[in-house]
This record gives sequence, structure tokens and C-alpha cells, in this order.
Amino acid sequence: MVSGAVRYAADVELTGMLHARILRSPYPHARVLRVDTTAVPSGVVVLTPDDVRGLGAYGCQIKDETVLAVDRVRHVGDPVAAVAARTPREAEEALALIEVEYEELPAVFDPVEAAEQDAPLVHEAHRVSENPAAYFGLRPEAGTNVCHRFRIRSGDVDAAFGDADVVVEETYRTAAAQHAAMEPHASLARWDDERLEVWTGTQTPFNVRADLASVFGIPEERIRIVALPMGGAFGAKAFVRLEAIVAALARKAERPVKAVLTRPEEWVTLNRHPAVITVAVAARADGTLLAKRAESWADTGAYADCGPGVAQKIGYTVVGPYRIPNVYVDSHCVYTNLPPNGAFRGYGATQAVWASERLMDVLAERLSMDPLELRLRNVLRDGDAFCTGEIVHDVRFAECLEAAASAIGWSEGRRGKGLCVLLKGMQTPSRAAVAIEVDGGRFVLRCATTEMGQGARRAISLEAARLLGVESEQIAFPNPDTDVVPYDTRTTSSRSTHMMGRALEEAVRDLRESSGTRGFGEIRNDGGLDPDTGQGIASSHWHQGACAAEVRMDEETGKVDVVRVHASVYAGRVVNRPGGELQNEGSMIMGLGTALFEAVDFEAGQVTNANLSDYEVPSIADMPELTHDLIERDGAEVHGLGETALPPVPAAIGNALASLGLHMTELPITAEAVLEAVDRGRKSDVGAVTAG
Amino acid sequence: MRLSLRVNGEAHDVQARADEMLLAVLRRELGLLSVRESCGVGVCGACTVLLDGEPVSGCLLFAPLAEGREITTAEGLGGEHPVQRAFAEAHAFQCGYCTPGMVLTVKRILEVNPSPTLDEIKLELAGNLCRCGCYVKIVEAVQRAAANATAIP
Amino acid sequence: MSPEWLSPTTLDEALELRAELGEDAPTVAGGTFLGVLVNQRLLEPAAFLSLRRVPGLEGISANDHLHLGAMTTHSAVERSPVVRERWPALAQAFSVVASPRVRNQATVGGVLADADYASDPPAMFVALGGRAVARCLAGEREIAVEELITGYYETSLRPDELITEVRVPVGPERAVYRKFRSRSHEDRPCVAVAAAVANGTLRVVVGAVAERPQHFPELCAGSPAEIGRRYAEAIEPISDARGSADYRRRVIAVEVRRALAELRWTG
Repeated sequence: MVSGAVRYAADVELTGMLHARILRSPYPHARVLRVDTTAVPSGVVVLTPDDVRGLGAYGCQIKDETVLAVDRVRHVGDPVAAVAARTPREAEEALALIEVEYEELPAVFDPVEAAEQDAPLVHEAHRVSENPAAYFGLRPEAGTNVCHRFRIRSGDVDAAFGDADVVVEETYRTAAAQHAAMEPHASLARWDDERLEVWTGTQTPFNVRADLASVFGIPEERIRIVALPMGGAFGAKAFVRLEAIVAALARKAERPVKAVLTRPEEWVTLNRHPAVITVAVAARADGTLLAKRAESWADTGAYADCGPGVAQKIGYTVVGPYRIPNVYVDSHCVYTNLPPNGAFRGYGATQAVWASERLMDVLAERLSMDPLELRLRNVLRDGDAFCTGEIVHDVRFAECLEAAASAIGWSEGRRGKGLCVLLKGMQTPSRAAVAIEVDGGRFVLRCATTEMGQGARRAISLEAARLLGVESEQIAFPNPDTDVVPYDTRTTSSRSTHMMGRALEEAVRDLRESSGTRGFGEIRNDGGLDPDTGQGIASSHWHQGACAAEVRMDEETGKVDVVRVHASVYAGRVVNRPGGELQNEGSMIMGLGTALFEAVDFEAGQVTNANLSDYEVPSIADMPELTHDLIERDGAEVHGLGETALPPVPAAIGNALASLGLHMTELPITAEAVLEAVDRGRKSDVGAVTAG
Repeated sequence: MRLSLRVNGEAHDVQARADEMLLAVLRRELGLLSVRESCGVGVCGACTVLLDGEPVSGCLLFAPLAEGREITTAEGLGGEHPVQRAFAEAHAFQCGYCTPGMVLTVKRILEVNPSPTLDEIKLELAGNLCRCGCYVKIVEAVQRAAANATAIP
Repeated sequence: MSPEWLSPTTLDEALELRAELGEDAPTVAGGTFLGVLVNQRLLEPAAFLSLRRVPGLEGISANDHLHLGAMTTHSAVERSPVVRERWPALAQAFSVVASPRVRNQATVGGVLADADYASDPPAMFVALGGRAVARCLAGEREIAVEELITGYYETSLRPDELITEVRVPVGPERAVYRKFRSRSHEDRPCVAVAAAVANGTLRVVVGAVAERPQHFPELCAGSPAEIGRRYAEAIEPISDARGSADYRRRVIAVEVRRALAELRWTG
């Protein structure tokens, strides 16, 4: 690491390899009338829509993607053609020689508008995918841009709202964000006989293999995915991104082809779902929550990717870690003509928690109650039922909240301070398998968990060493290769240390019992939700945390200064302490960016800040006093830490501003928006409660 | 054009276009893959190299301008440099992509200011982005290196 | 076609080449601004004119005036003992540009020739009455920095001229540079204010809000709050990722007032 010896996908070289560049649509929605490549020099390989027309569609949940846009482009940046040449420069020059004729079509850029009956359709039909990621009942609404809707129906919300002493309601918005991993996307493909081999920075080798099988109409066994370590991913490198294009180019070129994205291309490849969420809560005067209604529109952009899954997660995460007997949620995943949105650290939790926890503070104010007290009164405790009907076990929400509040000196005064508590689910159902091979004094792990900086390799190796009773230096963990590693659902959802840890227990047991040279272990976590009622098992265990923030605000410029922030996360059992700390710290810093300045800006479907100067990610100088806890309990399961401390940060900051009388409803919380809220506060008679 | 570059203490003759940046030339001609491409506009620091000991953006340095200067990349630190050791001991990295740039920058910071305050560390490293968010431990690494160092070679 | 790299070794040679070469051969000082354009293929010149080997363009000296060679880096200005002692606000303005890497590469002449509206040094130079020395084969002339920058990335430099030096008159009694960032610490400024008092005369310059540094000598009288208000009314600010025009107007009034308070200007 410290010598720069890590080799990422862009560093892979194969003899005779060509470099790819992609030609992208300048329009958000248009028919492709003509693609003229006659001016491209003969030494350059060109991939046109005609080359890919006969290939299969793919998509991890909805089968709405094709290798290139064929006949129609649906977002600015949609790939229309691609070239492969001896050098990247030659490829760029060739790209400029391709002429494309478009006929513009009406486009839609807002998910609420796009969900309406008369909105222009981004896709006429919705085909549910066979990819293992389409693991839940999908509910596309035919003839609309809604490619999935998830519902929770529990109890009788109408009656409960009627009976309540207090009702509060508000609409919250979260802007799109860009993962901005330091390493851009990179993939390399080669055909060997009729076998496809792909070296790529991916979090999801088996999903990619399944989708490529779909594209080329070949069995999965004829496809090999080698997952290189990634320079950060945060969800950006889940599912097919560049792999299909490089594979198609490599097949036409009959040579290996590598594609590395330029930084601006990242903003038209995958972003985080913007969301509009309306929440209403009904309560008794003593603060007992009676009912909650939520309606959510997640903008999934022009291709669904895992948007349906995100919409589902938003659907139950927005209810929050509370006992609420009557719950009514409609969560929609909606197409627009913006670049596709997909997995982003938190997977919908950030957007949901912003809405849910901000409204809790609105309720607290209405009830003249301490926000901590309101939450403690209602948080789920062991044995309680969640809105999905599942009974929660091993939950420490109260403990997390109290730890965070204490860290911020809550009892010494609340002015300028805000709290947030959250629950986040872990991919359920899923399965994980691992094999251990004995090789002299070494133990080689055949494990599909991919490394993106989260330290999975280290944590899983430490667990293996512990279970085998050997030194961690004796554990080898090569890059996942689907030819060699057993199946794992994917490296997302902060599931890997937990799931692989359990699979390792089985594998070690198998190794010992067979006293051979190979042990195999496979485990599953079962569950799932009915998409029409939201009932079932959302998560085999819960990621739990709380955050507290203290802020100061410059009343004349609206600039928010975060003085300190603390996250208390339930870890269960920590496998690798430095790794766990890094996950909390990193999540919190990313949360800070979402809170204060990260937004992908669009104008008529074009990204206007597609660079790291106009789109800002937090620097070390932005870091406030930052502390956190990793709460453990004897005998507890390992709980994932990859995401939990991100979603509560923006809500804690928003609630801290609420304590100053400023009610912000949109993320990011810009200085300009704060100043507007200050102005409104000055104008209002009461001087405090206004929505911003 | 042909360029003579001194990199990590050795002289090299390389081929480059006049409009190529040092980043591309170091990677392609000399296989120095610790110098990484990320933002292309000089704000992230993943492409940091030392030019006569001072950090510069490899992605914004026209290769011809690097002639006659001493270029240092992370490969040239030997692997056991006190700053590298401090980063390893403090676990001040996750994905590792930004790490070479951080290490080179910190090397220079401590040469000029052997005992930096927290504010000074933050100001001097503000131009090195880490999306994994390792800043807490990076600060610890700098403080550890400062505490351990008698002289930075 | 691979471009040419021209690296003259005397100023005369450089001036000859500058006069000969057309627009398609930019001057390279530090090359950072140019590098961004070339990386994005916004510029694909046939040749580059590098000043790296021209002697006498780098250096800092002062008698009553401050003389900054055009090829002097931002870092050198930031660290220069004489600048820090006698023109501390100028050292400060150079010290807050971008990152240490950029400051190690970017130059005094380059930042003026680029005329980037969001750069820090130009506004400070205008507040201090800085003047650029432009040379061509026929001779040299001095151009006030205020008159040098004429629009977005536009200067009054003639195609055959090179900036060789920037001169700043005798140190003001007091000067200040404030950089208001609306987002990350690493952000370019949303509003920047450079102000200086010399011989009892106040010069207030607002940067990063319009195509050129904004200086209204007729408005530089009165209380800090009054001057702030008048500047906010007089300027037509831009809207960009860092703030809308309305927001900038609000902040201009505040930041000008705060700069003048720092300057201990009582009106």
C-alpha cells in the first residue's frame, strides 16, 4: 500500500491489448437515426449498434440495458458506439471521426413528474431480470416510468392518524451524489477460443458473469471474471459497468481490449438516487408514535440497475428503528432521462434517514419534547416487532443513541446539537461460500469477496487464521476468480465479514472433519419481503447506529461549521479494530460531504459539474472533531460496518440546525439555503419553525 | 521527442509527446504505477510526484518541464521510509489509491516543519483527497512520523 | 500530429518566437492551467513556447517597489521574507491558492495571463496597484493589472507580448485578503475581497464574482458597512456551482464589511 505496489484493473496489461473509448449521446432522449463510421481508419476497431443489435439485453433487476444504445439513447452519456485502438490517443481521435444523427425526443428529469401517467416513457416495457440480484418480487407498473414499487401495509393508518394528538408532515429531498472513488472504472476483456475472460474492478463478479452470459448467449461456465482490488467503489463498481462493452469490442477485435474511464465519464456512468420523500407521523401527546405514512420517489435514471432494490430499502428504512403499529409506505423506483443511478454506500438509507429523522425533530418540537427522549421512548428493543412483522433481536438502538448523545454533551445543553438514530438492513436473502485449500504450511482462501479498501481481505484472513489456529501470515487470499472461487452473492451491503465469517466456520469444520486438504463451507441468510405488503424478513440482522453533531452557523452567510460529530455504531464483534475504525471514520466523512456540499448538478439532463473541482468531496481540512464508538457485546455476531455511520451524519447536522430554528429539508445543506432559512426565520412572527 | 529524466536517483531516456504530462510518461515508459490518474485537473493529489523534493501534480506537469529536475515517486522511497512505516503502523489507508501521493507530500511537510500542529497538517494535506476518508488515521500517521523522526532522509 | 516543444534560451529568442507563432502556440510558464485544457483536449496546439530556460524571469527583489519575475512560483512568493514583511497580504493571497502542488508549479506571470476569474492573486494585485511589465521585440510597457485583465480568460496583452515582471508599489500601510468559500475548504472562492490603505487612500477589490476583479474607487469612502452595501449594489455577480448571483450579492456586502473591519478602516 505505502509503496504503491497495489495493482488495480487499469494496471493490467495483456499482449496485443487495444485501448477503448466510448462515444456517448449528447442528448438526454433521442432516436439514433444513423451511425456513420466510414471515416474511422482501418486499423481501429469500431463497435456500432448494428454489431450489438443481436446480443442479449441485461440488467441486474430489470433487463433494460444493451451493450450500446440501439436505435434510442436515453440519457446524456448513453454509449452509442465504441472504438479500440493501439493507444488511448488513437482511440480518442477515431471517436471524433464517427458521425451520429439523432432525432430528439421529449425528456423527463424529475421522478415525481416522470411517475405521472402522461410523462414521456423512458422504456415502453419492463422485463424482470433472471439475474440473482432480482431476488425479490418486482412490481413494475406497465405503461409508466415506475419500474418497481414497494409497499408496506401494516395496521390501520387512517384510524391512527384520526386518533392522534399530533400529526406532522413534510417532504424531504436528497440530491444525486457521485461516488467519486479515487480510481476510475477499468475493465479488460479477452476471448480465448469461445471463452470470455474479464479482468475488472468489480464488487459483483458473479452478477457480472450472469449478465455477460445473458448478453452473449453463452453458458456462465464459459465466462471467467477476475476481480481486481479497487481504488474505492462505494457501490459504483457493482453490476455490469464497462464489462459488456469491452467484451464486445474484444470479440470483434479478436484481441484483448481495455477500457479506463476518464473522470468526467464517471458522472454519466452511475450516481446515487436522488429522492423525494414525503413523510407524515402521528403521535400521542406523550410522544408515543402511533402511525407513519411515507411516499418515496427514487429517481433511477435511464436504466434501473439496482434501483428497485434501493426503492425497497428506502421503503422500510424510512420507517426508522421505532415501534409503530400502523405503517403505510409506497416507495417507487422511477425512470428519468438522467444518467443511471445505482448502489451508493447506504443503498437508500441516506435518503430515507434524512426524511425520517428530520421529521422526528419536527415532531419533538411540536410536542415540546427533548429529541433524545422522544426517540428513546419509541426505539425498538429486543423482542419488538418492526413494521415488516419481523421480531428484532440483538438491537442496541437505545444504547447507540445514549452513547452519541453523551459524547456530544447533550445533557449540558442542546443548542446547536442534533441527533439521529438509524437502522439499516443487510442483503437478505443471500448466500456465501468459501473453500480453504491447504498448501504446505499455507492456507489458501478461495473466496469471492472483493477488496475495495474496506479491508474485507484482511478481516476474513484474520477470521480464517483465528478459526484455524494459525498466524495470519499463513493465510493467502488471491484475487477472486470465478473459475476458482465458490459462489457468493456479492460484496455489497456490508455483509462480507459477517457472511464469510460464518461460511469460514463451516469450511474449517469441513476441513477438520475430512482431514484432507480442502474444506468447503456454505451458508445462507434467508428471508425477504412481500412487495405488496412489506411483510416478511427484511434483514437477518440489523446494522444499527446513532450520530450526534454540534454545529455553528454564520448568520450573515449561512455557512455551517460542524464543530464536532460522533457516531456510535453497534459492531457486535469487531474482527479487525483498525479496519472497523476506518470504516466508521470514512463513512462519517463521506456523510459530511453529502450533508454540506455534494450534489450532481443537472441542466436539461446535462451534468454541469462533472469534475472534482466543481463537484467537491471532503478534504482533510473539512474534517471536524470526529469521534466514534464500535459497540461490542460478548457472544454477538459480527455486524457489518461498511455503511452504518454515513446516513446518520446529514440528519444529525440537519437536526442541529433545527435546534437553532432552521428547518432544512434538502440535501445538501448549502450555505445559500441556510441563509434563506435565516431570512425566513427573521420575517416570521414566531421566529423559528419554517420549512427550508 | 526524446527526454532525459532523472527518476528516483537514476537517469532514463524516454519517448514522449510534447503535450504529454509526466504522469503518463512515468507510467508508460518507466512502469512507475504508484503515480496514478484520478481527476485530471490537479485537485486530488493521486498523481503527486516530488520535483526537486517539492510536491507537484504529475497530471499537470508537461513532461519536457521535468527535464533536469530530480523526480521522486513512492517507488523511490524504498518501502521502509519513516513516513511509509508510520502510515503502515497507523493503518492510514484503505484502498491505497491516494496513499503514494499522501506519503510523498507528508515526507516534504515534515522536512520543512518537523513538528506540525493539527491545523498545519490539515492545511498542508488539504490538497490530497482520500475518498475512503482515512483522514483521522492519516493525521495520526503524520504525528507518529513526526514523533519518531530525528531526521528525514 | 505530435506538437513541437520550443524552449528558447534567451528572452530575445522567446520574443521572436512569440511574435512569429500564432494563437496555436500557447506560452508555457508553470503549465498548470494549460495542462487542464490539454488534458481535456480543449486545446490541441501545434507547438508550445516554454519560458523555462529563459534566464532572468524568476526572482523576487525589492527597493521601494516589489519586483516579481514572471516565472516566480506562487510558493516562492508565499515564502519570501521580503514579501511577508512588507506586502504580507500579497503573500497571504498567494498562500491560499489551490494546493501546495499547484503553488509549486503555477507562476506570477501565468496567473495574470490566464485571467481566470476565480484566481486569488489578481484581485490582490489590483488592490495594491500592481503593474505587469509586458515585453515585445519593440520594447516594453507597464500595464496596471486592473487594465490587464479585460474579461473571462482575456487580457489586453498583444499576441507578440510576454509578461516578464510584475511590480508592486511601496508597501501599503495596511492590506488584507479574504477568501470566502461557500463549500469545502478546498473550494475556489465564492467571493474574495482584497483591500489596502496606502497614503490614506482605500482600494477595495472584489474577486471571483465577475469576469474581472471589481474595483469602484468612487465607492471607497464611508463606513465599512456602507462600502459593503454599495459594492453589493454596484456589482453584477455571476451564478455558478459556488453560489447564485443573489447569494453572492449578500456575501459581497458582508465580506467587504469584514475585510474593512480587519483593515481597521473607520471611514
